[in-house]
Amino acid sequence: MAQTTIAAAPGDPRGSSGAALKVRHPRRPAVEFVGPVVCLTLAVVLIVGVLLVPFGFTGYRSFFSNGLNPVYVGFANYKTIFHDPILVKSLINTLMWVVGSLVLPVGVGLGIAVMTNQLKWGKAARLAIVLPYALSGTAVAVVGGFMLRSDGAINQMLGAFGLGGLQHQWLLTWPSNTICAILVSVWQATGVAVVLYMVGLQGIPAETLEAAALDGAAGLKRFRYIIIPQLRPVTAVVVGITLANALRAFDVTWVLTNGGPARTSETLALSMYSETFLAERPGVGAAIAILLTAIVLASSWAYLRKQTGDAHE
Amino acid sequence: MSRPRLRLSSVALNLSVAGLALIWLVPVYLIIVNAISDQSKYTGTPRWFPAKFGFFGNLKSAWQAANFGQTAVNSLIYATFCAAAAVLIATLAAYALVALDLRRPSLWFWIIYSGTLLPLQVFARPLFLAEAQVNLYDTKWGLSIVYIALCIPFAMFVVRNVLVSVPKEIPEAARLDGANWFRMFLHVHLPLARSAMAAAFVFQFVYIWNELFFGITLSISPNVQPVMASLATLEGPYSTTSQPAVLAVAIVVALPTIALFLGFQRFFVSSLKTNL
Repeated sequence: MAQTTIAAAPGDPRGSSGAALKVRHPRRPAVEFVGPVVCLTLAVVLIVGVLLVPFGFTGYRSFFSNGLNPVYVGFANYKTIFHDPILVKSLINTLMWVVGSLVLPVGVGLGIAVMTNQLKWGKAARLAIVLPYALSGTAVAVVGGFMLRSDGAINQMLGAFGLGGLQHQWLLTWPSNTICAILVSVWQATGVAVVLYMVGLQGIPAETLEAAALDGAAGLKRFRYIIIPQLRPVTAVVVGITLANALRAFDVTWVLTNGGPARTSETLALSMYSETFLAERPGVGAAIAILLTAIVLASSWAYLRKQTGDAHE
Repeated sequence: MSRPRLRLSSVALNLSVAGLALIWLVPVYLIIVNAISDQSKYTGTPRWFPAKFGFFGNLKSAWQAANFGQTAVNSLIYATFCAAAAVLIATLAAYALVALDLRRPSLWFWIIYSGTLLPLQVFARPLFLAEAQVNLYDTKWGLSIVYIALCIPFAMFVVRNVLVSVPKEIPEAARLDGANWFRMFLHVHLPLARSAMAAAFVFQFVYIWNELFFGITLSISPNVQPVMASLATLEGPYSTTSQPAVLAVAIVVALPTIALFLGFQRFFVSSLKTNL
């Protein structure tokens, strides 16, 4: 009923909708309901029309075959994902992205925040690490390519230090191309973790730290038993942000390796693009998009649940 | 007794921070050195020391190779117009959710907020087909509509976080004074939301400026594509542009976001914190 009330309000504020409202707010004029309608319409229409309806369409499409005259095929497209070696590798790469880009930015970001907090020149060191966060994924990938190409800076450095034996075709073999793409995105993403952990550290009350010092907790002990638990809410935010970004990451891999060679560095975000727009297999592409959505939603849910769980402790 | 140990650990601390900062700075140093050294001095492998200043020459050749002038203007339009439109629409929605007597406010909240939970890939093909159908594919409007819709959920979230904290007495008093919903929005909530709106605008401006995925799925011609699509083409496998030129242009297209980020760092931090 709420919906009909809202829908009817702008055209005829004194019509039947007004009567429905009177039951609830006898003294409020029906014209008041123009407000919510006017305010919400554009936002809701855009979200539903541009995001939610396409989402529904992709879900629907994932049950139909590829080709010009799609027919209903049930879960066949989803099965294809698990039987196609390229797509299985893409799934493995996506999981590597989740693990790598969770552990590294969170761990390294925490370490850098805690270490630079105690240093006089910590602010300058932090700026160096935070700066790449302001770059786009595309620009970051350009930088990464410059470092990692076979004739790039990393191999050059290894040669100069007499470590020529360690030179490697970083972007041309699996799994090193995926690992390199992850490291490049860690170079970009750690900054935000550092910034957030700094905020968290500054929020720890001085009395807590003093009390810990009186009780003899110093150095690593203080870090382990006082600082880490105090930073838990911040950690939840950092994990949430890096997880969401890692799963959706498209630009770094696209520009750095184009998913290749031979599609070995594709993630699900990229496989959806190449299946749908390059290989013209829209059914499989839709199934990949839905699988990716399921992974994103499941991990967001797990993260939200963990976060609220912490709050109850 | 504890003094020598302390000194040792402080040496270790300084060294590890210096090491990490070095890892982060070496790429930055190399980009700058190679971007400012003239292309003619580039031998195919990275330079470690600058040679013959040629930054503007490098920039010019890359700029022409991939229509950067046009695509940078496009992105400036998208980022300014779409971020502003999204923040305005999102503020109206946040106002409706918080201050107006709405039934099922949480249902409407989740309908709008759901946009942030879904991966972009799930919208791409239906939008591509729909835009082709109504002749919006490869037009500025076609991309703008998608960018505005993508930016609304988070902007709504940021503004709502601020409006929720407005004491109930203020709108009640305004209402008693006879203010209707529009006057209340204009004179009470809009002024209060201003700094949150600015934060959301900066955030979404950076997001759109950096966007690549829809730029390459929903457009193809240089007078529509965003600037990151140009950069991606230059770095692609078919590019013949020299590395110093690509790096020079990568630095230039990153300048707006770096400037905004450094200028509004506090905004970024506070909007990220509201995620809690």
